[in-house]
Amino acid sequence: MKIKLPLALALTTVTTVALSGEVEEQIRFRQSAYSFLSWNTGKIKSQVVDHPDTFNKDQITAAANAIAAIANSGLINLYGPGTDKGIGWKQSRLRPEFFEKQDEAKELDATFIKEANELAKVAATGDAGAIKAQFGKVGASCKGCHDLIRIRE
Amino acid sequence: MKETVHIWDWPLRLFHWLLVVAVVGAYVTGKLGGDLTEWHGPIGALILGLLIFRILWGFVGTKHARFASFFPTFGRLIAYFKGNWQGVGHNPVGALSVIALLTVLATLVGTGLFANDDIAFEGPLFNLVDKSLSDRLSGIHALALDVLMVLLALHLIAIAFHHLVKKNNLVLPMLTGKKRVPTDLASSVPSVGALRFLMTVAISSTLVWGIWSGDLADYFKPIESLQTAALRLGW
Repeated sequence: MKIKLPLALALTTVTTVALSGEVEEQIRFRQSAYSFLSWNTGKIKSQVVDHPDTFNKDQITAAANAIAAIANSGLINLYGPGTDKGIGWKQSRLRPEFFEKQDEAKELDATFIKEANELAKVAATGDAGAIKAQFGKVGASCKGCHDLIRIRE
Repeated sequence: MKETVHIWDWPLRLFHWLLVVAVVGAYVTGKLGGDLTEWHGPIGALILGLLIFRILWGFVGTKHARFASFFPTFGRLIAYFKGNWQGVGHNPVGALSVIALLTVLATLVGTGLFANDDIAFEGPLFNLVDKSLSDRLSGIHALALDVLMVLLALHLIAIAFHHLVKKNNLVLPMLTGKKRVPTDLASSVPSVGALRFLMTVAISSTLVWGIWSGDLADYFKPIESLQTAALRLGW
């Protein structure tokens, strides 16, 4: 009996570490971030590009602020060594070359942050045309990264 | 002895140059993304329409536009490589290139309909498939683009080769429709009737509209009800 409790505890610890190791945790967090990001970009796209008649300044502002918050959260720290291989919510799509392209990746991250901050500013003005244009720049910064470090499915 | 004759009918030439413009447009909007993303889909729709038009025109167009007249069969290819091929339209190797280009473009359009870029693009039929399948099709879309680039490079190299080495200008006939050919092969294609052209355009745009809205079946319902009515009337 006395030996069973520590054993159970030890087993639990081992299992927990195995299931949520550092690498998998980073992948999961970043996948979650992009998933939440897409909810917010989706709202802006819908309201300024696809259905301009549904434009809602409060929702756009909230979405733009969320996008800026995600951009400024230090996403690049979730790209630690070894995180090109592993399963978060699903298999990581990070190209192994990412680790040799640190300078470019940092630059792209900085661009994303800059454009996302600008989007939050522009959103506050409620100018649909300006929001659409700035949203395009944020999208282009997303694409810059996708093209550089993301594996094609 | 050589003679100048019409070989490419004007709808074929119009198709070719519109396709050039549209493919450049699709490439630029796809590569740059951002603001231009919203044009990528509509340009894709134009390419879809052009491809459907070209396939139909391959049956109802004038002689050298028809697949039957230039389809690169094994026999024709062998004859061409032995130097025994004679003709004034697409030669069998050019015909291979035509078929390959149309196939790759169809792959691009077909996958593009379901594709997404995880940013601001969703093909018009994105909702008909799982996200994971859409991602896979988007990957194939990108791969097909690589293949297209190789084919276009070969296309341009072949044109340059014909121009410089074989002293055979392929670009001018694609603009004017006219070509100087040996007299024994000289026969002009007939002029194209406006009705034939307009019918083909109408069918192509109807199909694009139906595919784009994802309810091709619904779109043909009026035709079905006409058929039912006709049956009832005992036609």
